[in-house]
Amino acid sequence: MKTNERNLVMSDAASRLRRLAAFFSKGFLFLVAAASLVAVLLIIVYIARDAIPFFKLRGLKELFAGTAWFPSGNPPEFGALAIFIGSGLVTLGAILVAVPLGIAAAIALSDILPYRLRQAVKPVIEILAALPSVAYGFFALVIFAPLLQNHGGSLLSLAAWLIFLPLGLLIAFAVSEIATRSIRADVAPAARWLLAATLAAVLVRGLAALSAILKNVAVSSGTNAFNVSIILGIMALPTIVSVAEDSLQAAGRELREGSYALGATRAESLFRVIIPAAGSGIIAAVILGVMRAIGETMVVWMASGNAAQVPQPWFNFLSPVRTLTATIAGDMGEADQVLGSERYHVLFALALCLLLISFFANLASEWILRRQARRLGGLK
Amino acid sequence: MKLRSRRLLDRSLTGVSVMAIVLMSLSLLVLLGPIFSRGAAAFLFRATSEFRRFNLEQFNRGDSRRIAAESRAVAEARQPLYGMLAAFTAELEDMDPARRRELRQQFKEVRDLLRELLGPLPGEMDAVMLRQQYGQTRWDRARVTLQRILFSEQWDYSDPSRMGRKVLVPRRQAFAGTQLEPLFPHLQQNLKSMLQPRFTFYWRFLSDRSLDSHFFGGIWPEILGTFYLTLGAMLLAIPFGVIAAIYLSEFAAAGRLVSLLRVCISTLAGVPSIVFGLFGLAFFINTLHLSHSKSVLAGSATLALLILPTIIRAAEEALKSVPHAYKEAALSLGASPLRMVLTVLLPAALPGILTGVIISMGRAAGETAPIIFTAAVSVGRPLKLWETLNQPTPALPWNIYNLATEHQAVDQIRHVQFGMVLTLVLLVLLLNLAAIVIRARISRKMRG
Amino acid sequence: MKLISTILALSLLGGAFGFAADANKIVVDGSTTVGPIAKAFAEYTMRQNPGVNITVSESGSGNGAKSLVNKSCQVASMSRLLKLNEYEAAVHSEILPVVHVVALDGIAMIVHPGNPVAKLSMAQVKDIYLGKIRNWSQLGGPNTAIVIISRDTNSGTYETFEGKVMKGEKIAKNCEYVGSNGAIRQRVQSTPAALGYVGIGFLDNTVKALPIDGVNPTPETVKDGSYPIARPLYMITNDYPKMGSHLYRYVNLYLSKKGQTMIEEIGFIPVTSY
Repeated sequence: MKTNERNLVMSDAASRLRRLAAFFSKGFLFLVAAASLVAVLLIIVYIARDAIPFFKLRGLKELFAGTAWFPSGNPPEFGALAIFIGSGLVTLGAILVAVPLGIAAAIALSDILPYRLRQAVKPVIEILAALPSVAYGFFALVIFAPLLQNHGGSLLSLAAWLIFLPLGLLIAFAVSEIATRSIRADVAPAARWLLAATLAAVLVRGLAALSAILKNVAVSSGTNAFNVSIILGIMALPTIVSVAEDSLQAAGRELREGSYALGATRAESLFRVIIPAAGSGIIAAVILGVMRAIGETMVVWMASGNAAQVPQPWFNFLSPVRTLTATIAGDMGEADQVLGSERYHVLFALALCLLLISFFANLASEWILRRQARRLGGLK
Repeated sequence: MKLRSRRLLDRSLTGVSVMAIVLMSLSLLVLLGPIFSRGAAAFLFRATSEFRRFNLEQFNRGDSRRIAAESRAVAEARQPLYGMLAAFTAELEDMDPARRRELRQQFKEVRDLLRELLGPLPGEMDAVMLRQQYGQTRWDRARVTLQRILFSEQWDYSDPSRMGRKVLVPRRQAFAGTQLEPLFPHLQQNLKSMLQPRFTFYWRFLSDRSLDSHFFGGIWPEILGTFYLTLGAMLLAIPFGVIAAIYLSEFAAAGRLVSLLRVCISTLAGVPSIVFGLFGLAFFINTLHLSHSKSVLAGSATLALLILPTIIRAAEEALKSVPHAYKEAALSLGASPLRMVLTVLLPAALPGILTGVIISMGRAAGETAPIIFTAAVSVGRPLKLWETLNQPTPALPWNIYNLATEHQAVDQIRHVQFGMVLTLVLLVLLLNLAAIVIRARISRKMRG
Repeated sequence: MKLISTILALSLLGGAFGFAADANKIVVDGSTTVGPIAKAFAEYTMRQNPGVNITVSESGSGNGAKSLVNKSCQVASMSRLLKLNEYEAAVHSEILPVVHVVALDGIAMIVHPGNPVAKLSMAQVKDIYLGKIRNWSQLGGPNTAIVIISRDTNSGTYETFEGKVMKGEKIAKNCEYVGSNGAIRQRVQSTPAALGYVGIGFLDNTVKALPIDGVNPTPETVKDGSYPIARPLYMITNDYPKMGSHLYRYVNLYLSKKGQTMIEEIGFIPVTSY
């Protein structure tokens, strides 16, 4: 027994050694952890280093206000406004697709679906998030673009039916409910149904007229902002769904139970209590979705048509557009690095803009999410 | 009354949100459907005798005696056809000049198409390009060519107010009364015996190199390149990612520096992939001179940066989910914090870390934009391990882009493109499946 | 910090291996137009010499020139010559660009086969791309807006087109840009109102090539010089390749009978028949 006895109190020297070792190991860990800091700094420095000469040579005005993009012209022109608008347009389209769908899906996942079904849907989101962007781009170019081109009108009218029929019926029923609220109780049901039926009929007629118009829309080229918007929307969906669902979950059981206890239905407690509490998280989800759409390269490069024009009118989703990412990927060819041409630097200038956009969007979403965590933490 | 409408609203919310889920699942199905069905055709298809001849001659594969017997049978079946060609060539010489001029061009088209269908015609010079040395290796492609031989595409421009309409005119008509006329029905009836299509499972699509820029063969160099790129990215990113996660979850005191670090990590996660590509070119290749030109190493380093935040976050999450009791028990037994991390924390968090690593592997394998300027080329042979340090490689994602947009015969090699997409998608799906399985195991263990 | 040092160490290692393997490694970078030739030559050379690895990137002529100047490729396959600033950069980094004219190519104007318009003149092509002619009805076709399609601005094909057809004037803004010859052909074959241009090696039955000023774009008319939009295709090396080296064999393949047959089979015109 005596041989195994150890002094439980460390000697001074041993303790100092141990503290020293701890200090150094901690320092080492910090240095390694700082790699991402170094990486971010390096990225900013290297992109900015090659972007600044462009601003020095040509100033800011041309890039952000001009619409003539002729990088190889003689003399060259670098008006990238159309490109910024193109990026904005496809991002807007992606958001229009992804936000309603994503938030509805997040609500379903956090509050409506039973546990088993929820577990079954999770992999769908994961697979959508995991599919490589080039697979999406390939789909957009090889399958979706010809479809859009040959059956664009029918596709659009189908989409109109799919979107507006359920929405319109919903509104029709709601309106008929509200309108018949003050009528005598014995005739009210009949009046309600009559009104609802009339409204529905009007809706169907209206939709039929709309789809007849849409059917005749000729899609002159299948690679356009519409195509890319749909695909980017699907790609941004998983981000929006998972972040929004997280923040809906984070609102907590207490809030829901409190609201139910006061007699609210599920829809009411969601819209009046949960979503206001989780609202900032949902905004963060939308921001992250925007970032996913704006930073995507392969899909837009393959399927956006790459025409550096401002669509006429600006919301014309059927016109081909050019985006920041696709311009960088496609135009890098002429980059003469030894002497450094304006053409090379302008692409870094665009990359810098992209970087700054994503940087600030990211900061914003981070700030919002953190504030929400603090607030909900305080609430508990 | 009010209650009714409130309930209606509640129902409709349920309806709308379930609809969103259904739409989302549907879009996944629509995406994967064609990729799976048409991608499968790269592996499982009806191969013609030309396919077997090709395999024997180029890869030295297959039973040479059986193929020789088949070749004889095929040659015999084609003999009458070649006879008609020769007879018509002679007949053409004796025609009056106007008719000859008219038919010669059409005859040339027929000959070109027949060569595409069956391989070199008798008496032709030896071709150099492989695509000229063999006929159609796939029955589905052969059927397409057959249609083009039987019918010539013409356009009816009679209505000037709109684009012309396509009219299929039987070529037979043009050659009516000549010795070539019976060729068309003969070809249609006997094509099967001329090409002997047979169902083939071409699993070697994964392990063959491509020949004549993807007209023939498989996608091995691309698969290997993707493997190297992913492996390299993981080797570079895992140590950094896990160590950073350990620091952040165990040692970092809340402070300015640490929150700056966190901001940097999420910034890095948000940088668009094309910017990573530009940075990789400007930094790893032009500044550090990791390699002379594009190389797997430079591509891996770029990809490693891209997946670093994912790994850090996943690892930190996993480390944080280890119960506090574990750590405290280890520390109270007198282990130093570092030792506690190495012997208690890491093993306990390993499955969680692994999940994150596997998911980011899928991400690294599928990214295209970062490797455009740093690693990817369209033609190259499979690399040996040490060659990855200084040589570029074909890789699945880049070559999907390349074949789908830049190839000379985009339409003729659709099956290869779909096969590549399917392979990449399957790879990513399998990795994610593995992650899901591991995660399910963890949650089962946690629940006890 | 550690990242950088590790990478530096690795790269030193890489350099060591790199120099050992250099003679068997050829990197070709450049035009997508020359791509099919470069790829075919690469496969042929690799089959003849099993130890050699030739990699071909098709990233545009500009990239080819840049890589050559950076010494990151041995062969720049180009559909245009070097520009003045590229020559300057080459001289600056001690490179002697040696030009090999490997083949000839014509640029064909292509439309959808359903398009009744049967011919164009140079002036008309220019006006269409300038945006002055915007509708096929102005050319005797149906009343449909013209969808004009161009190669991306980093390609030699674009620069040839810009030089020979546009003569320095600017292409209209609604022009769509696509990354490669194959992509243009695909866009035109799927778009009835489209007008685009590709190298004649990329012509097939899915699109209709229009005669320009009455001359059809065929190998024969390019060969005899009557087709107006034609250009040579180049491979550019740093200095003359060493006799007997793999690089020498690769670059000079176009002078052999096999090489010329290959060029013909791919759809271009061998230089010796010029």
